[in-house]
Amino acid sequence: MRTRRLTIVAEDPSLQVGSGDQRRILTAEVEIPYEELAEGPRGHRVHVIDYDSTSDTIYAPLPAEAYANGQDPFLNPTNETILNNPNFHAQNVYAVVMRTLARFERALGRRVEWSFGGHQIYVAPHAFSDANAFYSDRDRALLFGYFPAAEGNQMIFTCLSHDVIVHEVTHALLDGLRQRYTDPSSPDQAAFHEGFADVVALLSAFSIPEVVRAALESKRGVPQSVSRSLLTKEALRKSVLLGLALQLGSELSGVRGEALRRSVQLRPGVEWLQDPFYCQAHRRGEIFVAAMMNAFVEVLSNGLATLGDVNGKGALDRGRVVQECADTAERLLNICIRAIDYCPPTDLRFGDFLSALITSDQEIVPDDSRYRFRDAIRANFQAFGIAPASGQVASGAWEPPVDESQRLDYTGVHFEALRQHHDEVFRFLWQNRGILKVFPDAYTKVLSVRPCSRVGPDGFILEETVAEYYQVLTLKARELKRLKIEKPANMPEDLEIKLYGGGALIFDEYGHLKYHVRNRIDNRNLQQERLQSLWDSGYFDQGFNSGQRFSALHLARMVRWPLGYAGRG
Amino acid sequence: MKPHKITLYVYNVGFGDCFLLCFHYQRGGDRYVLIDFGTTAAPKGFSKERGSRLLADIAEDIRIRCGKAGLTAVVATHRHRDHISGFATSKDGKGPGDIIRNLKPKVVIQPWTEDPKAPVDALSPVQDPGRAQAFLQSLQDMQRVAEAIVQAAAPSNRSWLGKELRSRLAFLGEDNLANESAVKNLMTMGLKQYYVYFQSRSGLERLLPGVKVHVLGPPTLRQSDAIRSQRSRDPDEFWHFHRYWGFQARAAEHEMRAVKLFQAETLSVENAPVEMRWFCHRVRAIRGEQLLNIVRELDRQLNNTSLILLFETGGKRLLFPGDAQIENWSYALEKLHEEGKLDLLAGVDLYKVGHHGSLNATPKSLWSLFEKRGGEDKPERLKTVLSTLPGKHGSERTGTEVPRKKLVEALRQESELFSTNAMKVRDGLCKVIEIPL
Repeated sequence: MRTRRLTIVAEDPSLQVGSGDQRRILTAEVEIPYEELAEGPRGHRVHVIDYDSTSDTIYAPLPAEAYANGQDPFLNPTNETILNNPNFHAQNVYAVVMRTLARFERALGRRVEWSFGGHQIYVAPHAFSDANAFYSDRDRALLFGYFPAAEGNQMIFTCLSHDVIVHEVTHALLDGLRQRYTDPSSPDQAAFHEGFADVVALLSAFSIPEVVRAALESKRGVPQSVSRSLLTKEALRKSVLLGLALQLGSELSGVRGEALRRSVQLRPGVEWLQDPFYCQAHRRGEIFVAAMMNAFVEVLSNGLATLGDVNGKGALDRGRVVQECADTAERLLNICIRAIDYCPPTDLRFGDFLSALITSDQEIVPDDSRYRFRDAIRANFQAFGIAPASGQVASGAWEPPVDESQRLDYTGVHFEALRQHHDEVFRFLWQNRGILKVFPDAYTKVLSVRPCSRVGPDGFILEETVAEYYQVLTLKARELKRLKIEKPANMPEDLEIKLYGGGALIFDEYGHLKYHVRNRIDNRNLQQERLQSLWDSGYFDQGFNSGQRFSALHLARMVRWPLGYAGRG
Repeated sequence: MKPHKITLYVYNVGFGDCFLLCFHYQRGGDRYVLIDFGTTAAPKGFSKERGSRLLADIAEDIRIRCGKAGLTAVVATHRHRDHISGFATSKDGKGPGDIIRNLKPKVVIQPWTEDPKAPVDALSPVQDPGRAQAFLQSLQDMQRVAEAIVQAAAPSNRSWLGKELRSRLAFLGEDNLANESAVKNLMTMGLKQYYVYFQSRSGLERLLPGVKVHVLGPPTLRQSDAIRSQRSRDPDEFWHFHRYWGFQARAAEHEMRAVKLFQAETLSVENAPVEMRWFCHRVRAIRGEQLLNIVRELDRQLNNTSLILLFETGGKRLLFPGDAQIENWSYALEKLHEEGKLDLLAGVDLYKVGHHGSLNATPKSLWSLFEKRGGEDKPERLKTVLSTLPGKHGSERTGTEVPRKKLVEALRQESELFSTNAMKVRDGLCKVIEIPL
């Protein structure tokens, strides 16, 4: 595939290298898919419109010729250009969004759609004067705010933060992959969007060698070699992980809070999941991030242990450490993204994601003995009390779709049609509704059918078709008894409620069902827990404003009133 | 000595609160306590002229009722305009705040967050002066945000915000503006000032013989820390809150100035290429919603500085929680539960409905405690008093309307509800509720 390279801010403008007059904001050249850009920049998936609602101004874009033939109009930019040229800001958001999109498409082996149905997402790098940045599916947009720094006259631009951009575009991509994850559900599901976006943002940062090099830099400068004593799991956690988390702090904590720092510093413990502090959606994601980033450090440490010393002096070459870190981040990122296809489409729990991750990775990398990613992920999730949702305790992978004694009916189902048409998938589902235990009375809709060609690290190609269906059942609280679900105490009998369910169907290269990952609409425990959680949170009293859900989540993350505490109504 | 009767005067201020409590003593006469005096929207049916002199008329009514006794105490539950605007003075000395001042209240009671000495007074209920200073700075930052948003939303600045949104921004924003005249008057009008907090002295101990006044909120930073350390895993959380409002104050002031960020070529929306225009209009709409969300959040947070007072005398309990929201209440409920004192609330006879009937200000856990709730035949049935004006705050679409319909329905079914919204112009300035002891 033809690519191009564009210059971006490697992390954010506070990350600078060099000294004195030579001090400059760390930038990186990143590789993204090539396309002939229109003014904006505007490509086939991203349209940057630099409108600032605060001053009611549109900053004129660069002419399209500036990007012709793969040119980078901002090669080696000065600090002045980085901070004060709106066209560089537009390029920065375009390149980071496209890089993240390309990463998702490569991992999943197919195109990834936006949830809103259109092809191009709007991006406003200076949308308003506000310490906020968010994704709005209703407006088909990513919106980045700016605000004056605490001291001096400088503005803080969220559109120059790699972390913030990747976080927001991941919300958009995840929303495209799993539309129902923004539905009101358990604390886990509400937390997952934030946690997953943080993990992708962190691993994306680590996949940029310049950022890792800066994180390893000590006050005495960048060492040429790194002592093995600094590369243990614990030492790496402190240096690389915490180093980056602290870099992300400072001014941008006004937008992102310090969730990353807290995640990195969170000690493993099975008690966190029950802790009231972590039962709030905007905090709970930190447990997920902590488990994943601890797994990252473990795999990285194992990988570094296999590298040879420099001159046999118990130290490793810095360049190799940086590359190993970037490679490990890249591989783990792929594993995380692929797992989404193997997750149930509704009411996700962290344990579902763990089983999905193990299964999807097992499919494409059957032999994990070299890096032992799966062992590290399983162990670190377990350390935070997250067990696989699968019944297969030893591996944690999803079970086959049906018992060996049962046979699925493929009569009249055409393989080619199954790879493309919602109706064909529905036909398969309908004629196997008994064996697949699809609740027949609920409204059922096939949400997506996606053929994929995934490439493993060894070049092995895995052909799959991933389809997801969704079910919804609307009933009165008093009717819950029919499904043996008890309504929460004090819930009015005639309150109208919706139950959701659904499944992901993974077909192999011959059109046979390999996995059926589902949350059944008549799963008594799951539905009861969900209803209780929503009832306790006051959802039925106050309703759910979906318009600005990500903006609201970010606000909750930032602002916690210091007097008293947020108890249950 | 103890009172034999209480009279509650519920003033119809439109959207706001104003209550005059009179404790009648056989010997020693009547003693009056004024709880809040403010409005942000005149009552329905009032002419513009009548609305403009509403506060002066009420102040005069209070003066007449208090007579020579004057005011024993003034309570200002929190700094919102709809609770304190009536305390503002005027240059000619004839403002409503001047009239109240001339009633020579013996004490003025406010939450500790209004104490001008809080940051530096070692005896103040805070853990360290630095944090207290930062907290009070954050409250001021919120008011800076409100001020900037009110100006940014003025018709001459952003016509594209639309009439309805602009009016909601103005209503909420103005309620949160610093009320300098009222604040200054409150700080100096009493012979003595009390800045109180959960379970502190109220300042009324000697002034209202036979009446016990429990202060149930707000908690102090130190009190909150004790309970939050069991929940929070982030010691720096306080500083995020502080930094956030600092950033937002600066961002809002930039919004108000509306200057361009860069010396660069620009286009106007009207002359922009067609494909840009739709999106620009969307961003404008989003911006409007964002401003409303910010001002709502700061409004909610300032509500949480509200005093919660419980008056107990002659076997009767009257609860006045100002606009306290869930965080303030959660603290009080948990501490009272820990100390085995929830009975105090279970026996409430009269409840001033919190925050004009918003749902978050009457938590279910509080409402379910009231044992005197019940149908019309319930002996000694709970009385509830609601000072409100619908259509001003929140919206039904998002389930945030004030008063919340579901709550009003519950109040009607399970208590003897009096709402100022039911008052007609001919009903006069206030409703009188007698509570024999």
